[in-house]
Amino acid sequence: MARRRLSDRWGGRVTDRWKYPPALLRLALGGVFLYAGAVKIGDLSGFAGDIAAYRLLPHFGNYLAAAVIPWLEALCGVLLITGWRVRGAASLIMALTLVFMAALASVLVRGLDIDCGCFRHGGAKTSAWTALGRDSLLLAATIVLLRKTTNQQKT
Amino acid sequence: MNLPDRRLIIEMACIFLMAVVLGITWNQRLLYTVWQGGAISAAPAQVPGTAPADTPLPLGLLQVKELYDRREAVFVDARDGAAFAAGHMKGALSLPVGEAQGEGARFRERVPLSMPVVVYCNGYDCHDSMELGMILRSWGYGTVYVFEGGYPEWRDAGYQTAGGVE
Repeated sequence: MARRRLSDRWGGRVTDRWKYPPALLRLALGGVFLYAGAVKIGDLSGFAGDIAAYRLLPHFGNYLAAAVIPWLEALCGVLLITGWRVRGAASLIMALTLVFMAALASVLVRGLDIDCGCFRHGGAKTSAWTALGRDSLLLAATIVLLRKTTNQQKT
Repeated sequence: MNLPDRRLIIEMACIFLMAVVLGITWNQRLLYTVWQGGAISAAPAQVPGTAPADTPLPLGLLQVKELYDRREAVFVDARDGAAFAAGHMKGALSLPVGEAQGEGARFRERVPLSMPVVVYCNGYDCHDSMELGMILRSWGYGTVYVFEGGYPEWRDAGYQTAGGVE
């Protein structure tokens, strides 16, 4: 029982040769999203300005999104790191990443030259192409993690 | 829908709701101010020229745009030089609040005391514009307004900007 609980917590059966990669993936993804959320939580106006640069939402919508998204990222990050409700957190991260990618694609289509606003506000500018590439990697990692987690639940 | 799927959706909804509650609670004051700001900007009651004698009058986006289009005011950016360089209202002058005392004489040479001045900074949680507005009042500027939505609201509305991100 203790062995089963330990194996669930770290994302795989102890006998499974893939026991460590999913756990490392989960921790890495959790760390990235916890960091992304934490650096934006205290800078609502700055992040709202970054969202406003996408020109997709009304003024209040930018502030509302800037208030909620960092907390969502941080919460999902914490859940992934602790290994609690991994599927729910990973699914939300996947949905969030798809939304980010759609927004970035719209930036490229419209030819806007903006900072992606992915992490800290006011740092070096990250282009939409770079952000899209990074989000693709995060999306792929999330899908792998979700598949591993789902397979483990079935076994 | 089978049981694991339903459980997953409930899990996701709970996490999302928790993030919404935390985000809104954490930023409630600022969100309320932004919401109120939207209402102020749509209200016709606040007409430029009704500022109290001692403090700058907060202005909404519509009134600011009206003054901007009619070229009836000088627009002053109270943020630091880096923020100004990254993006500002087109035609605005930079006067960071921290450098206001040193730059006062030059500013007064460029902008007559009779000219209405609109000061802005980085939105509703930025108080530099109000602080600079008070300084301008103390210098003798008769009509000083503060654009509370600041540069983010101006840019968000798609109005003219200059600098880094346009």
